[in-house]
Amino acid sequence: MRKLFSKVFLILLALAIPSAFAHHSFAMFDQTKKVEFTGKVSEIQWTNPHVWIMVDVPGENESLVTWGVEFTSKVHLTRRGFSPTMFSVGDEVTFSVSPYGDGSPGGRFFWVQLADGSFYCDVGAAQRVCQENNSRGELR
Amino acid sequence: MNRFAILHIFFLSILLTSTSTIAQDDVIYPANAAIVSYADLDNLPDWRGLWFPSFGQVGGDEPKLVGEALNIWQSHQIRLREDPNYEIPETTDNCEPDGFPYIMNFPYSLEFLFTPGKVTVIQEALMQVRRIFTDGRPMPVVDEVDQNYFGYSRGYWEDDTLVVRTIGTQPGQRLVRAGITNSKNLVTTERLYLDDKNKDLLHLDFTFEDSDVLAEPWHVTYTYRRDRTWEQIEYICAQNNQHALDAEGQTLVPENIRK
Repeated sequence: MRKLFSKVFLILLALAIPSAFAHHSFAMFDQTKKVEFTGKVSEIQWTNPHVWIMVDVPGENESLVTWGVEFTSKVHLTRRGFSPTMFSVGDEVTFSVSPYGDGSPGGRFFWVQLADGSFYCDVGAAQRVCQENNSRGELR
Repeated sequence: MNRFAILHIFFLSILLTSTSTIAQDDVIYPANAAIVSYADLDNLPDWRGLWFPSFGQVGGDEPKLVGEALNIWQSHQIRLREDPNYEIPETTDNCEPDGFPYIMNFPYSLEFLFTPGKVTVIQEALMQVRRIFTDGRPMPVVDEVDQNYFGYSRGYWEDDTLVVRTIGTQPGQRLVRAGITNSKNLVTTERLYLDDKNKDLLHLDFTFEDSDVLAEPWHVTYTYRRDRTWEQIEYICAQNNQHALDAEGQTLVPENIRK
């Protein structure tokens, strides 16, 4: 486990900043803000150039609003220890995202609390959330 | 023999003649020879594994831009000051490859394959491939080549340093830094070598010469860290690219969730 931790940590260091500049800029996100929401996973797109998790979130008058969470590529996520089996359709999850600047329901992944209570986090500032909340203290 | 058979033979002979005319001009260089020796590869340095780039330029100098390249750079900087969310348009925004030279700097891994007379570079992102011929074949004439994404690279080994010259990249590709692009006259020299003290560190020293863009040669250096445990992972950008671009090349929120 120590070896895996070391390996993941080194790769996180290597990828931390550049990943934000892959494929397209993140200018469409308001990275000064974070929005949290809870809902049920409705779709898992484990793809390149981005992984997407769609979440149905309760809205007004018992309606559901589908939020789109945009991750980096599945290449980067795989190296960070993420996998498509983390999510199942119907799971209740809580996300924190950097929201779209135009108010669209979605944003760039910051961290997620999965149905089993564990946290997975983006590189950079979000790591603090994982370190504080995952009892084993592993980077994810 | 009927008329159709004669015509058939006539057209077939034209086809074969033209094909052989093309083939007669071709030279078989060592990289493609039927009989080659792989033994010489044992003398090359060990570049196995994947190489992850450091973020940004680690050395070198600042570009001295001229002409239209300077105007374009300044206009981007003005836009960025006016709107921090302004996005300098890039080919990869639309899943098009970066081409050369940014293939060497995209924040994914590089893999180097050595075969007799050739070094093949595979960039994980968008699965881009670049071929560097080291078999002594001549560099083509820039005005006669089909300008393309990755250009035409010729290299040689200077002890354990791979020295590469590249011409023929199509104009308008990212010259390392967002907002700077090359002209058709770009000539790039690269020197790639392992660090003296740390064999898991690879150096790449670029020299860009482009009289339409730069007042003088621009030296830029990068480093890469080796990882021997990972393999490259498939990356098809067109698999699920949901971001359209507006008329100014700005990335849009996906249509299915756009407010």
